[in-house]
Amino acid sequence: MVQAEMIEASEFQALSAKYNVSGVPQTTINDGAATVVGAVPESNMLAELKRMLAK
Amino acid sequence: MPKLLNADVVKQIEDAFAPMKEAVHILYFGQKDNCMYCKDTQQLIEEVVEISDKLSLDIYDLDDDADVAAKFNVDKAPGIVIAAKDGDTISDYGIRYAGIPSGHEFTSFIQDILLVAGRDSGLSQETRDFLGQLTEPVLLQVFVTPT
Repeated sequence: MVQAEMIEASEFQALSAKYNVSGVPQTTINDGAATVVGAVPESNMLAELKRMLAK
Repeated sequence: MPKLLNADVVKQIEDAFAPMKEAVHILYFGQKDNCMYCKDTQQLIEEVVEISDKLSLDIYDLDDDADVAAKFNVDKAPGIVIAAKDGDTISDYGIRYAGIPSGHEFTSFIQDILLVAGRDSGLSQETRDFLGQLTEPVLLQVFVTPT
């Protein structure tokens, strides 16, 4: 149900551009439905997922 | 072909892997053209897998083994799946790497192997409860750079 993928930005530039990646790490969720920039604690990631799914 | 991992690093990884109780299976997907880091990624993974008998590896080609790639939802090369192995059963936990896991990401790669070997996410109960009631798939793509 959940897939988590590390993507090395310089090898996949088109994808990085598609999601406007500038600062890393950037977590793009469900093809851009939500974006988290920076390394954040678990609680932040959970809050973002809840916010995204509530829409 | 010179080794990518020196003896000191191999020893460190060996020590990190020593407590592993369960088996981990890695699936590697390469591509013949347009893959600058495929050769190095494959070699890197082979050297890591060599360190512990709890680790096994299957090497695939994204195009020649398109059916396996589709089954594991891998569409980029070099592509890595870190899965659990119990007897003959492979359990996919949705852990993927696209691109060579070098620099900081190499540490993440080793830690992910340990995570899967431990068969536990280490997440809070609140997060587990939330994930447990998901009805739609969630895709988390974490963009990194190799420094």
